[in-house]
Amino acid sequence: MSRADIIFLLPHLMLTLGAVLVMMAIAVRRNHFAVYVLTCLTLIVALYFLPKTASLPHNVGVLFVVDGLGVFNTMIIMLAALAVALMSYAYFDTREERTGEYYMLFILATFGACIMVISGHFVSFFLGLEILSVSLYGMIAYLRKRERSDEAGIKYLILAAFSSAFLLFGMALIYAATGDMTFEGLSGYFSAFDELPILVMTGVGLVVVGAGFKLSVVPFHMWTPDVYEGAPAPVAAFISTISKGATMVLLVRFFLAIDGFRFPVVLTIFTVISIASMVVGNILALRQQNVKRILAYSSIAHFGYLLVAFIAADELGVEAVNFYLVAYFATMLGAFGVVTVLSHPERDAELLDDYRGLLWSRPALATVFVVTLLSLAGIPLTAGFVAKFYLLASGISTNQWLLVILLVVNSIVGLFYYIRIVAVMFDSAEEREARPAGYVGNFATLLILVVLLVWFGVSPQGLIDVIRNLVGVG
Amino acid sequence: MTLYAFYFLSFLAVMGALMVVFSRNPVTSVIFLVMTFFTIACHYMLLNAQFLAAVHVIVYAGAIMVLFLYVIMLLNLNEAVEKQKTLLLKVAAIVTGGLFMIVLSAALRTAETSYIDTSVVGSARNLGKVLLNEYLLPFEAVSLLLLAAMTGAIMLARSRKRIKPAPNVVGMTHEREQTKTVVHEQ
Repeated sequence: MSRADIIFLLPHLMLTLGAVLVMMAIAVRRNHFAVYVLTCLTLIVALYFLPKTASLPHNVGVLFVVDGLGVFNTMIIMLAALAVALMSYAYFDTREERTGEYYMLFILATFGACIMVISGHFVSFFLGLEILSVSLYGMIAYLRKRERSDEAGIKYLILAAFSSAFLLFGMALIYAATGDMTFEGLSGYFSAFDELPILVMTGVGLVVVGAGFKLSVVPFHMWTPDVYEGAPAPVAAFISTISKGATMVLLVRFFLAIDGFRFPVVLTIFTVISIASMVVGNILALRQQNVKRILAYSSIAHFGYLLVAFIAADELGVEAVNFYLVAYFATMLGAFGVVTVLSHPERDAELLDDYRGLLWSRPALATVFVVTLLSLAGIPLTAGFVAKFYLLASGISTNQWLLVILLVVNSIVGLFYYIRIVAVMFDSAEEREARPAGYVGNFATLLILVVLLVWFGVSPQGLIDVIRNLVGVG
Repeated sequence: MTLYAFYFLSFLAVMGALMVVFSRNPVTSVIFLVMTFFTIACHYMLLNAQFLAAVHVIVYAGAIMVLFLYVIMLLNLNEAVEKQKTLLLKVAAIVTGGLFMIVLSAALRTAETSYIDTSVVGSARNLGKVLLNEYLLPFEAVSLLLLAAMTGAIMLARSRKRIKPAPNVVGMTHEREQTKTVVHEQ
């Protein structure tokens, strides 16, 4: 490993260092605030050390590809992690649980996600994914006193282990056929075929199963609502944004490398998954009374939408995926941020009744929630609208009319359950108990997220330029 | 000679795996699983991967199986608990499993695999060289994976009892007073 390699991996090394420092800090003295500050500092330092764009791309051995796509998404992941960390402090400060380990697992999970977005090799792919999953097992079941946290943790543990087995088997089959595990090498191998050999096809299929579990797209989505419901609200925010986003970026990198959409069978698989996710996610969300479950089904549907741009797989498609991820991250973090702020020490604010009359009792918070819900629904002047527009554009430019039409129809169906939450918030206020005072970090995060959502919705050109410069693939 | 050994070991591995599924007693299942692991370790030996074989025996047949046995004995599984699978679930499992088997056997029957000279890979010496040169970064990342697993396990395994936050002295004295009154009432 040369000196240049170390410089390019500095953000990741900083995260590692942060995790070890947090561990030592806990060993010396358990202080929630100190550990929290240490976590935030780690993320900020890691962000500071992100490689400069002029020097990209750089390959670290065969394992990591530090290019524009990777650096941009590392940045997004770390910013999202910072937002989740800010939420977590307020959330865990009001609960009588040990808090130190949470931040350690949190940094390690972020590290895993950051490894995933720059990996150009099956080994780093799998390791990143496993570090992310293993850290998440602990984070999901963190609130030991709550009933459903064990259920959520076990469910995620078993299904994640099961899907990892599929993923690994798929990688093994591809390796058996090609003798290569780097994306670059596979790219050369795949370009030699007009039609996939059946062994490789099976391998790719199994990889899609493993990744599909992480993305919680439809045949592999069963765990999502239960885990979101049982997990602490900030952890649910982490799973729905960082864990999914990192997997998506990895899939983009892999399928761009092997030029997977040249093969009709791969195209068919992803088209079916996309349609199923959109339809099933939205229909199941309609009947839910639990806000966390609604957000879970909504995230399933959103990844169905996102796959439309993923299938396009051209330059516009990759840009659209990145823009959509930014908008989706900001929106989901905002929504879960509101859930976090409203949560009681005993249980999270997950029932629709918890939000009744919110607009009158806490107007600022309700406004934030309304903006995020409208962004999820894709209403103009929010980032969600521009993102969805981008998806449509990339879908139309590659003539996937079926997907485009279904995307529009499903967005209208989705509008119903988002508006229903808004309507509940407009209901007349009833007597409610005084809520605990808020935390500055929480409100600052929510404020920034809302400003971003509206800003990207009104003038998206700045972000589009950044993405185009960084991510532009040949 | 190697070919016969391969067929013999494969036969044992498949039979062992089938017996794991079909035997009614969980402890018998686990013993057959140990047999399967050993035969797979022998396969590694045939591939000239002695180190992998040794690690496989130590980790799977040793550590993990002991863990399995403990869990099964502690859970005290009997047949009354087990009958939860509906007919639909069984049919679905057979159909999906069967489909997967067909796909895999079709894939592997016609497969042309790329051959690797087994004399240059596999041994502890070669493995060590590759692991600490080419794959140094992932090797280090694995330690983080283990750190995450260890932290998570310790965190989850601690008792569910109410844990008092250290700095919150007021709450603690309050609680102590409460217990005192309870004692008094008794």
